[in-house]
Amino acid sequence: MQARYADGRAAIFSEAEIEFAPEKLIIRTGERAIEWAYADLSRTDDHNGRIVLRRRKPDTGERLMFDDWNDEQLAAVAPQLMKPRAQGVEGRRTVVALMTLAWSLAGAFLIGIPFAADPMARAMPEKYRTQIADISWSQVNAFTAQCDDSDEATQILNDLAYRIMERSNVPERDDIWITVADAGFPNAFALPDNSIIVTDELIGLAEHPDELTGVLAHEIAHIEHNHIMRNVVRQIGAGIFFDVVFGGAGAGQAIAIASVNLAGLRYSRGDESDADSRGMDYLDAAGISTAGIARMFNRFEAYEEEAGAGDIPSMLSSHPASRERAVAAQARAREGLAPSLDDRQWRIVQQACGGADEPAPGEEREAPETGATGAD
Amino acid sequence: MTAEAAPSQTFAHSGKFFNVLGLALKNAGLTILTLTMYRFWARTSMRRRLWSRTWVLGDPLEYTGSAGELFRGFLISLPCFFLPAIFVFYIAPIAMEPVAAGWLTFGFYIFSVPLIAAARFWMRRYQLSRTRWRGIRLGLAGSAWGFAAASWGWWVLQTLSLGWYTPAARINRARLMWENTRFGDQPFQFETRNGESPQKGMWWPFAMGWFGTAIGGVLSFIFAGAILAGLTMAGLINVEDGGMMVGFLAIVLAGAFTAIAYFISFAPYRAAAMNRIAAQITIDGARFRLKAKTLSLLGFETLGWLFLIFSLGLLTPVAGFLQVRYILNRLELIEAPRFAEIGQSVLADSDAGESLGDAFDLDMGVGVI
Repeated sequence: MQARYADGRAAIFSEAEIEFAPEKLIIRTGERAIEWAYADLSRTDDHNGRIVLRRRKPDTGERLMFDDWNDEQLAAVAPQLMKPRAQGVEGRRTVVALMTLAWSLAGAFLIGIPFAADPMARAMPEKYRTQIADISWSQVNAFTAQCDDSDEATQILNDLAYRIMERSNVPERDDIWITVADAGFPNAFALPDNSIIVTDELIGLAEHPDELTGVLAHEIAHIEHNHIMRNVVRQIGAGIFFDVVFGGAGAGQAIAIASVNLAGLRYSRGDESDADSRGMDYLDAAGISTAGIARMFNRFEAYEEEAGAGDIPSMLSSHPASRERAVAAQARAREGLAPSLDDRQWRIVQQACGGADEPAPGEEREAPETGATGAD
Repeated sequence: MTAEAAPSQTFAHSGKFFNVLGLALKNAGLTILTLTMYRFWARTSMRRRLWSRTWVLGDPLEYTGSAGELFRGFLISLPCFFLPAIFVFYIAPIAMEPVAAGWLTFGFYIFSVPLIAAARFWMRRYQLSRTRWRGIRLGLAGSAWGFAAASWGWWVLQTLSLGWYTPAARINRARLMWENTRFGDQPFQFETRNGESPQKGMWWPFAMGWFGTAIGGVLSFIFAGAILAGLTMAGLINVEDGGMMVGFLAIVLAGAFTAIAYFISFAPYRAAAMNRIAAQITIDGARFRLKAKTLSLLGFETLGWLFLIFSLGLLTPVAGFLQVRYILNRLELIEAPRFAEIGQSVLADSDAGESLGDAFDLDMGVGVI
């Protein structure tokens, strides 16, 4: 049979005669006869009517090219050369192995690391925690202003928080410090150094001290249960996974950078529910009604509806559905308890940072049915 | 005794659009299912298909690379690039002083400029070393770091000249690449004829592109502002509720219009640069001629971008295929090298895969040849 043969030493093909012997292919060019064992061959066809054979290893550059209407003869003596694998197409086993590897990596990073986030976060050196806190503070300072007139209000809130934590024996009670910040949105959040930031707009959103106290209790619970650092570990794990698997320096870094930025401090739904539950335990232990936080959840919902999903502050929008949380808190509410702050203290707190700058969306809504003011 | 095929043209690409699209879709599906780990196999199968349908003087190119090599290159790049990157972006911000971490990040980005150039060089070296024609291997000699350093210098000049050094930089890069390229033991040359400027015919199209982009950029901001003003007056956007969002939207819209202006304005330059570079490449006295035209180039590039954008990058190889086919079907060889005297390559095989080329995703999922 006629074929073309390149010897790999010059960029030309020579005319050749080939013979499909049972164990080997015999190529005759002039006086020379070359023998190739079928087991050593692979195909690199041109997909345009020509079969191209070469020796796999070592690849000397020798090539044999002949028309593909001879493939039946080739199939008869070397059926393995008819399989896609002979042309370098990977088998199903490779694809399954890749899927297993990829999803195992995903499991390790996206499930394993979150699972081990708590001990990893607790094992993180204090220096790193401080560094992350510094980054968070630089973010806070970028969009909030310090209040010169809130010392007394700050002291009142810290005394209240300490009282709550003491009743529940919160180990971090001596390290937690609440700061009132001037910002254009209602929000409260805990930072890695056990600070809690409360914005003046959030204070303005509350119509009763128990509503604000409920929010503080929730943030204290985040700190006691180490949710913040766990979240940072989770986010970094996800970031590294996305960077390595996706092979680029984009998506993963965005996640990782977000993890040490304030915007990235979003908790999982489980962490939020945990903080809700633990926060209400504090309130119960301190003799404060959970009706206040129930009303605050209703207010969050009203705020979300009026402000629109795109404008919701991260700490509110990442929470589970406010209505469900309000129902859960209302179910635990007890009546006849004194407010967490007296009228004088509450007035001082409300005037922190000169009071809220503008009525926040939802502020002028009618009071929830549970009663907006007065002790429940 | 030689048996040269009798081609109707020197270069041709017989790849069919839907054939390539089908493979790209299959690869995209498996890439998603394997959380992108299949990308090395996808890239290899696509190259194999495109190479095998590329005909030079009637004989096909052959891609001999394997996905295992690319995967190994990726594993090599893990400690070389990803671990330092993970330290810079993940560990340093929490373990170092903020100022020091900031400088480290800045330094990393600065270092990335020559690193990307070196990665491009390594990638090309790998691809050429896995490309054969008539059994003869191509290759790339020279130093990747030498290319990186030179590229960095040209990049600085481009920046300082507000882009006006770009035509010279492009020719310089092409010269360095092609003068190091080998077909077997035969080097390519990159030279002008009759003392012509290497950038001949590139400056006017570049000037058109530069001024077109500048004017288009200004008009884009005016146009974006007019659209948003119209939407605001129609009551579809409330500026008071979302001032920042409107501002952001205006910048995005203007940026998109400017990018389109850039894309269109520089099309004549891109065609001129491709033609000029091809005209200066020679091998054993044979020359090349490329007949890229602005409108046809713009057409296939637009199609490629549409594929890229609407598939979220998954069908990028289709854009790569369009590019390869466009060039090959317009490329001619003037006179023929003495193929019988071109021997096998003596350059060492590249054994590190494409390493950083994957990290920077430099090749549209196809190749940079």
